[in-house]
Amino acid sequence: MTSTSTGPLGDVVLELNEVTIHDDLADNELVHGVSFTLRRGGVVGIVGESGSGKSLTCRAVLGLLPQHIEVSGGTIELLGHNAAALTPKQWTGLRGTSISAVFQDPASYLNPSIRVGKQVQEVLRVKKGQSRAEARRGTLELFEAVHLRDPEAVYRQYPHELSGGMLQRVLIASAIALEPDVLIADEATTALDVTVQAEILDLLASLRARTGLALIVVSHDLAVVAQLCDEVLVMKDGAVLEQGATRDILYAPQHEYSRLLIAEHEQYGLERYLDSPAALPELREEELDYA
Amino acid sequence: MIKTVLKLPSARIALVMLAFIAFITVFGPLLAPYDPLENTAQNLAAPSAAHWFGTDYLGRDVLSRILAGAPLSVASTVLVAGIALVVGAIPGILSVYATAVFEWISLRVVDTFIALPFLVFAVAMTALLGNGMVQAMIAVGLLVSPLFYRVARSATLSVARSQYVEAAVLAGATTGWIVRTHVWSKVLPPIAISLATTLGVGLVVISSLQFLGIGVQPPTPTWGGILASDLGYLPQQPYAPLFPTALILVTVLAFNLLADAIRDAAGESGRSLVGAKAAKANRARRLAASGYSLTPSKEHA
Amino acid sequence: MPEITETGERAPALAVAGLNVDFGRGRSRKRVIDEVSFEIAPGEAVGVIGETGSGKSTIARSVLGLVRPAAGSSVRVAGREVTGLSARELRAHRRTGLVQYVFQDPQRSLDQDLTVGHSVAEPLLLQGVLGRAEIRDAVRREFEEVQLDPALAGRFPAELSGGQRQRVAIARALITKPRLLILDEPVSALDSANRVKILELLARLRSSQVALLFISHDLGSVAGVTERTLVLYRGQLVESGATAQIVNAPEHPYTRLLVGSAPTLSAGSIDRVRRNELRDELHPAG
Repeated sequence: MTSTSTGPLGDVVLELNEVTIHDDLADNELVHGVSFTLRRGGVVGIVGESGSGKSLTCRAVLGLLPQHIEVSGGTIELLGHNAAALTPKQWTGLRGTSISAVFQDPASYLNPSIRVGKQVQEVLRVKKGQSRAEARRGTLELFEAVHLRDPEAVYRQYPHELSGGMLQRVLIASAIALEPDVLIADEATTALDVTVQAEILDLLASLRARTGLALIVVSHDLAVVAQLCDEVLVMKDGAVLEQGATRDILYAPQHEYSRLLIAEHEQYGLERYLDSPAALPELREEELDYA
Repeated sequence: MIKTVLKLPSARIALVMLAFIAFITVFGPLLAPYDPLENTAQNLAAPSAAHWFGTDYLGRDVLSRILAGAPLSVASTVLVAGIALVVGAIPGILSVYATAVFEWISLRVVDTFIALPFLVFAVAMTALLGNGMVQAMIAVGLLVSPLFYRVARSATLSVARSQYVEAAVLAGATTGWIVRTHVWSKVLPPIAISLATTLGVGLVVISSLQFLGIGVQPPTPTWGGILASDLGYLPQQPYAPLFPTALILVTVLAFNLLADAIRDAAGESGRSLVGAKAAKANRARRLAASGYSLTPSKEHA
Repeated sequence: MPEITETGERAPALAVAGLNVDFGRGRSRKRVIDEVSFEIAPGEAVGVIGETGSGKSTIARSVLGLVRPAAGSSVRVAGREVTGLSARELRAHRRTGLVQYVFQDPQRSLDQDLTVGHSVAEPLLLQGVLGRAEIRDAVRREFEEVQLDPALAGRFPAELSGGQRQRVAIARALITKPRLLILDEPVSALDSANRVKILELLARLRSSQVALLFISHDLGSVAGVTERTLVLYRGQLVESGATAQIVNAPEHPYTRLLVGSAPTLSAGSIDRVRRNELRDELHPAG
């Protein structure tokens, strides 16, 4: 089996069908049936609290479930591969090249004692077999692609010299270095300032528009997910409470919990004060594609 | 936490062994069948009904000497650990709260102690202060104290920087209040682990000193001393060193078991060891019930 | 002492005037708070909004006496000047409990080895005025005040949910009947359901006379419970006004950037082009 990045299925890159996840230590089911289909250039959002099963679902898709926790039912099909049939070695081949991820705390995913450029360059050298010079050039191009202002300078810096937003850009650069088909952003903007969050969300949207990257955006904040996604899953306690087009969930939420998420914004967020929501320009993709 | 410790079988075994050692330490001299210094007719006699462990090169009863030597060997170990605890742990906690000058000086002193070799320092101390057990114990206690200093300091540091301590400060707490209310309970378990370990190490060091004749005068029986004299008569009694060695071994083993048990009870490691077995069973039960196969069908696109 | 005459019910809960704070010494000295002045009336709820490095936490720490402001700064809590107090005076001032602080993460701000009842009682134990029975009653009242079952007082933090723990932390802050309560991102460590409940609880507190000072990096997270908002940028107060006005008609370019970047349900954040224009407006040279 080879891990070709363009599967014969064409449009669909990831398909989950009634996936359940079981914790063998506590002997209980943590995720009770998640299904969604992710197409090339598509964005699926998952909203939920910590413990809702959203991160476990992502880890299952990445083949990175913690010890004693397993997919106990349903199927995950990643680029035509049945995830359950993959050996650890095949998983290693797929991660990065077909699917990759960025998480909440960027600093903990980088080695503090190695310059960030070298860490990204290493990905290209090891996984793509590029020479030092090629990998360096590739890394600088990636840094440019994630809108780091001075790629040459960032390349030579250590993680502690960069801000949280810059580190997250570096990690996104590293995640897209091998041109994966699917990128998971698991609370990737949660720890960032609002203005920086807006920039990272922009970056993800522009990557998707430019390269056809499919995204899974996970957040506890419905507004973040709503900004990027076509389809949203609302999860709580391991169950999908509501699933559908973003617009439907925002304007006609069926489940009480979805209504709570919306009420939180309307009562205590900016929405409480906004006279006319239309005053803020709606995000249009063309404007983001400034490449 | 004491309850959790007692649940572990290793801790129970350790406590039984320590109870035995404590018993012979307290009652050993009274139980000794002979005067440990009295010479009998037979030198280097084999074990017999009269002399269970035989007699040594001067014809003294070995069992009596071991029993009579227990208080000096074990008590000095306890004293060494006690000295180390007081000299190490208290400055360790204080170093976090006292002035920067105290912190700097105490850190340098501790570094110095760590750099000094054990036995050489003990020999030098006894040469300086006279060849007595107390001098030797002070020397060893001082040298072991950095362990307590570091353990106490690092535990205190992590508590001192915590938000609940800041909350107490913001409510007007003094340093004494913070140590009593918040620090003690976090510093105690790691110190207990160090104490158990130190008691084991201390006995080995004390016995080594006795073996070398530092700190004790020859006729006084000690476990290390008995071992030393036995080694001189190996051709006649090859089994003789086994008796004192076994006692030293049992004591050290018991203390180490106890230290491990405390660590397991205080941390995650104990729970996860128990958990792994349960997880395997749960998994097997689930698979059997659902019929879901983990060896997946070989078909794929 | 002149303070006493001012320490009436009518004195502002907090009056900060010409606050300057410097970090570092000599050549590496850096001004992190630059001439900040504001007042909070009793019972008022005010948000201080600023991003990483804006100095919002430094303002809170100055009010709490954890940071020493530069000479000439004035911080008055309920009419009492708190800058320049000696360690002993500061401790005595803190024991009065006039100003209290709620941390972001209750998991870390409660001692795991103390029962939550003990933690809530700690400020009263420190005051040393009330007897055991009275303190127990006070703890029970405070548990009810934050809608917690008083029977939970004997539990340890690990046995409570995140929302319950934050209620415990708020109860600990309220037990001394403070005039000013400073809350540092009080809901950002909680999940949605609990965020709403804690915000409801805090909104209810406004009917009592305690003044609330919310510190947050995200205007959206506390906008609903504040009537006034101060926007802090690089140690300076760049804009202040009614929260509704700040949200709807922000004036300063930074405030516009901040409000525009926050995603809302009805609209995404403002686009990159607009953001860059605002950034250029903020720093014409760079």
